[in-house]
Amino acid sequence: MRKLTRASQRDEHTLAGAYAMDAISAPDRERFERHLAGCQECAQEVTSLREATALLGTAAAEALPAGLKERVMAAAAVTRQQPPADEAITEPHARTARASARASASARAIARAKVGSWLRSLTWPGRLVLATAGAAAAAVLVIAVVFGVANGSMQQQLDQAQTSSQQIAVVLTAHDAVMTTGPVTGGGTATIVMSHARHALVFTAQGLRTLPASRGYELWLIGPAGTRPVAMLPAGRHGMTGPVIASGLRQGDHLALTDEPASGSAHPTTPMMLDMAL
Amino acid sequence: MTQAANLGGLLLRITIVTQYWPGEAVPRDPGDARSPGPPSGLAAQIALVARGDAAAFDAVFEQIGPSVFGVVKRVIRDPAQSEEVTQEVLLEVWRSASKFDAGRGSATAWVMMLAHRRAVDRVRSVQAEAERERRVATADIPFDEVIEAVESSLDRERVRRCLNSLTEVQRESVTLAYYRGYTYGQVASLLGVPTGTVKTRMRDALIRLRDCLGVAE
Repeated sequence: MRKLTRASQRDEHTLAGAYAMDAISAPDRERFERHLAGCQECAQEVTSLREATALLGTAAAEALPAGLKERVMAAAAVTRQQPPADEAITEPHARTARASARASASARAIARAKVGSWLRSLTWPGRLVLATAGAAAAAVLVIAVVFGVANGSMQQQLDQAQTSSQQIAVVLTAHDAVMTTGPVTGGGTATIVMSHARHALVFTAQGLRTLPASRGYELWLIGPAGTRPVAMLPAGRHGMTGPVIASGLRQGDHLALTDEPASGSAHPTTPMMLDMAL
Repeated sequence: MTQAANLGGLLLRITIVTQYWPGEAVPRDPGDARSPGPPSGLAAQIALVARGDAAAFDAVFEQIGPSVFGVVKRVIRDPAQSEEVTQEVLLEVWRSASKFDAGRGSATAWVMMLAHRRAVDRVRSVQAEAERERRVATADIPFDEVIEAVESSLDRERVRRCLNSLTEVQRESVTLAYYRGYTYGQVASLLGVPTGTVKTRMRDALIRLRDCLGVAE
């Protein structure tokens, strides 16, 4: 009996090499990681073997394609970083919940718990996508939970939030993504990351002047194809607004920003505070 | 057995015919990978990245970006997809820099793990179905392309020498697993040997590589 246990442990241990090279299926990986958690010697071995495999990797180094660095730097500029603590995922969204002044304390607690567990249940790519989209998606989630939106409709909201996150991630990592910035009349700077291949752009702004509650910033696409409202910008947080996705870009479009009633307008009713040729 | 002998011949031939590989003059961090002890240049930069320092992220890019792209492309092959995954990996370095723990290995090893794992995951999710059938049907893998990647790199004399110190079967296992992204089960099926044998080979090979490369234990 004892012998068998030792034999199976040894067998488990031989996986160290395969594990260090990721030559392991997902279930095996999980099983081995459980084994590692209780075997310090194995963990040390894996660490040292990883150093060796890292050298195999650096040996394959190749010059980066042109523009790749710029695209990632632009994406990083609008990508939220994980805080170091374990509360990494739940904490920032809990903060969003607190910002929602209309929600009662108990509703907030529920929101925090629900959003937190939903986030934890996400697979890793889902988390990345969500984090990429940042506040916008999180806000939808929190609002959906805080105000107790009925189940079906909440699912729809979640789907929408996720779809929008994915769209944003797609633009940020697009092959031809370029970043442009421009000043906003009345204060603030707009930053866009645009992909012509995806016919879309991601808009963010810093330092926009706070508008009265009855008013809001509305984003427009204006060009030969007509004037199309894109979205009302969400309220800024820590001076940052967005990200907001604008899709369906056409040849000759400009991106514009105006001050409109909070419910939004069908056409701009005030002078443009931003006019960027795309 | 016959298969192993054939592979041996092929490996030998490829070792002799050294090929030019485009884009090989690549700067890399020489010290970091071998010294998991004190924080090296890259580890220090990553600590700054965790605080949102864009200049440090730029420096990380310069140091490790080419290695990330190189290993991702080696596994994925398709240039467009490789570029995409490289971007995802580097964006993840930005995002999760605070998760890097210098006590659990070097910064190079951490980034390369993110890169390799993601490349492998991409290949496996895309090819899961097709691959399962193909790996049985085609025993004639282009080993040359795998080996070429290492054999032809200028700056990598040490890695090449250490790979050469492995036995034939150990080297096969390492190159198939690391540069092709196969699981040990797939490698076993390709080579027609029991999985237990492949697992042992992989571990023995990496231990030998580690000792040859002078990676601190």
